[in-house]
Amino acid sequence: MLKILLTSVMTLFFITSCFKKEANFEGKELNVAVKAQVKGMDPIYSDDRYSSTEVARVYEGLLEYHYLKRPYELKPNLAESMPVISSDGLTYTFKIRKGVLFHNDAAFPDGKGRELVAEDFVFSLKRLADPKLLGNGWWTIDGKIKGLNEWRDKYSKLPATDYTENIEGLNALDKYTLQFKLTKPFPQFLNVLAMPFASAVAKEVADKYGKELLNHPIGTGPFKIKNGVFRQSNRIEYLKNENYRNKTYPCEASKEFTKDYLKDCGKQLPLVEKLTSHIIEETQPRWLNFLKGKVDFVEPDKDNFEGALPTGSELADDLKAKGIELMISPYLDITYTALNMELDLFKNNKKLRQAMFLAYNANESNKLFYNNTGIPAQSVIPPGLKGYSKSFKNKYRGEGKADQITKAKKLLAEAGYPEGKGLPVITYDCTSTTDAKQIGEFFQKQMAQIGINISVVQNPWPRLQEKVKNRQVMTHGIAWGADYPDAENFLQLLYGPNRAPGANGSGYDNPEYNKMFEKVAVMQDGPERTALYEKMNKMIAEELPWIFGVHRQNTTVKHGWITNFVQTDFEPGRSAYLNIDVEKKKEQIKTL
Amino acid sequence: MNIYIYIIRRLLYIIPVILGVSFLIFLLFNVVCPDPTLIMLGKHATPEQMAMLRSELGLDRSLWIQYFDILKSAFTFDFGRSWNTKQEIFEMIKNGAIPSLTFTVPGFIFSTITSLSIAVIVAFYRGQFLDKFFVVLCVSMMSISSLAYILFFQWFFAYKLGMFEISGYEDGFPYFIPYVILPIIIWVILSLGYDLRFYRTIMLDEIYQDYVRTARAKGLSERVILFKHVLKNAMIPVITYVVIQIPYLILGALLIENFFGIPGLGSLIVDSINSNDFGVLKAMSILTSLAFIFFNLISDVLYTMVDPRVRLR
Repeated sequence: MLKILLTSVMTLFFITSCFKKEANFEGKELNVAVKAQVKGMDPIYSDDRYSSTEVARVYEGLLEYHYLKRPYELKPNLAESMPVISSDGLTYTFKIRKGVLFHNDAAFPDGKGRELVAEDFVFSLKRLADPKLLGNGWWTIDGKIKGLNEWRDKYSKLPATDYTENIEGLNALDKYTLQFKLTKPFPQFLNVLAMPFASAVAKEVADKYGKELLNHPIGTGPFKIKNGVFRQSNRIEYLKNENYRNKTYPCEASKEFTKDYLKDCGKQLPLVEKLTSHIIEETQPRWLNFLKGKVDFVEPDKDNFEGALPTGSELADDLKAKGIELMISPYLDITYTALNMELDLFKNNKKLRQAMFLAYNANESNKLFYNNTGIPAQSVIPPGLKGYSKSFKNKYRGEGKADQITKAKKLLAEAGYPEGKGLPVITYDCTSTTDAKQIGEFFQKQMAQIGINISVVQNPWPRLQEKVKNRQVMTHGIAWGADYPDAENFLQLLYGPNRAPGANGSGYDNPEYNKMFEKVAVMQDGPERTALYEKMNKMIAEELPWIFGVHRQNTTVKHGWITNFVQTDFEPGRSAYLNIDVEKKKEQIKTL
Repeated sequence: MNIYIYIIRRLLYIIPVILGVSFLIFLLFNVVCPDPTLIMLGKHATPEQMAMLRSELGLDRSLWIQYFDILKSAFTFDFGRSWNTKQEIFEMIKNGAIPSLTFTVPGFIFSTITSLSIAVIVAFYRGQFLDKFFVVLCVSMMSISSLAYILFFQWFFAYKLGMFEISGYEDGFPYFIPYVILPIIIWVILSLGYDLRFYRTIMLDEIYQDYVRTARAKGLSERVILFKHVLKNAMIPVITYVVIQIPYLILGALLIENFFGIPGLGSLIVDSINSNDFGVLKAMSILTSLAFIFFNLISDVLYTMVDPRVRLR
């Protein structure tokens, strides 16, 4: 019996070693762990973090965020320079970079990628607006470009879309000049052009592959997909684009970046030869693969967070000894409980809202649900954006102090509900995950301290969305992540005309606030706009249509051999800047 | 009854079953489930876009036509595109089937052969130490959650000892082999407890039959009695059990695939559930039902071959 067992084990060893493809630790190969399946590689559908990151390895847009500047700063990418903006803020004229080539593909004559021209952007934005394709990024340009909505409406009623029809606000003036005419001033339009939705797609490729374009990513980006075809699997392999234009690593950085970040100054991008995205959805294999050096960096999940960061802010000694490094940076986001401001209960009772906010212990919630890495939110704008003030403290921010509970009870009594008497049971709607349920139960417990009864209702995600849009919720727990780094993206969540079914899920509608938003939304960046953002932020802190939670922080651990690594909310495009210290990797991998 | 008539009769029985199953799927996905357009269009969905998408998906048509579409897809396998990824659903299923089969088939074969062999032996030694040992072992193995096996084996054998790959998959033979060995071992361990108990019961039912006593009285060896007579007579429940498990093999194993990064149908189902991709879930429900119906038919036909009395009933 023992003999059989030993023989079986030896055979297994033999089999595994025979067919194992050894990892190539000699070359500059970047190994990235991706937490969820990548949907596809069509820019117009890249509305989630994972797909948009993969899309941006292959495709590029007119603008991008400077890799080493914070707050985020836009810079030209496929545009030769920043656009010329007319004095009324309605016309944007771009010069396109010359000599940029699409990746080689059978869609082009002789299979050679042709040069990018202004017309490619006209085509790509029409694709984004095409009613037959229903691109997920349509909201970014909806109502913004002159004539585009009319074009979309017209073809939504016809069997096929005509891309040759001219659109007033979307024109290629010559081979390298592109002009947009907007319906109204929209300063965030430049941010939109840095999003993967607005990447350049060649008409020939779109015509050849049709809806299957999502499996044939052919762009101008720093990487090209291996074999030219994307397949939903457990990995996506990319090779360096050998025809990539002359784009180099930046030579200037904001002061928070050390000198080490400028070591590759002036070097041709991308800095690695090969990139593999490993789709690893479960936390344990993702973490173990990282510890074995098979992926270069990961975000520790709840299950391994305590082991990796025993104090919550510092890396464990055994990991440090292996050359692993820690990076912590805030996300541009906010978690919150929205109160249905269309209900008389909340609409006409600011004191009730303030009492609820005061009773909610954000520090405890931070500890329980975010490993104490979040920043308790004082209002709607997160740190890292203009309009956020580090020194601003919301006087109603609950921190679990006894005097705050007493004050909350007093406010509740002043609101007409002493010890909660007379208040109906308030429902709290959330998604059906365990985390959401625990957050709901925590909210319930916090409110019970002052006599408010909360009933937690769990819903599948689409059902929750439906209930919010149909105003069938009293309160609901949700979060918002920045689409682009501008406070306007957060403030619009409370703009009256954006009420559900729009993004304003709480239904807050304050004429004074709306007026300020209408003014700020068309202002170009500057001190005046920042001051108005701050004013609106403070106003919301007093009004409290939401019970603010936390601004979450990103925690990433990486191997020491990865250089130039920066945390960013706008990850697309980052992979081109990352480098590998091959010698260091050879040494460190032995210790893993 | 002639075997061909029997098969035709069984084929005719399939029609109402397919109608019923497709009706249930229709009720579940097209009537009860919430509006999918919100999921597909994301947080910036406008009523106008939702209306366009509803029309694109055919959800604005009458319920009868929607039901007919489901019924049609059961025969044409044209399930359209995924609501979440926009990929062709049939392609997604086709791409996932092979990786699933690369570990479920070997796992199934190993576990069936092993448990059947052990079952014959423990049945022979009924009530003795070996029998008791395996009964206790089976209960213990069944009591531990599959997740515990996966987490422990992955951490210990793959990470600590480095004997296997932690996760991942390579397309094509023989490159997938190192990635599927540990999943196969876990599959065998997970199946062994249930299979062994089931086969042991069958064997024990047979071993006390009169014909076994007669065979012993005739002086046949125990080996011949067990492997030639008992095993053959126990084949009907064994065939049922084995054939009915085949659809599960195609479906893969939800947890094993997800933890080991095998891009099979198990992973596809988990992803679809997580992303509320009702299009894929609907297609998988239809295909699973069809697979069960088909393999039920196969097992019924096989009965008639093993035991001709069946078709006369």
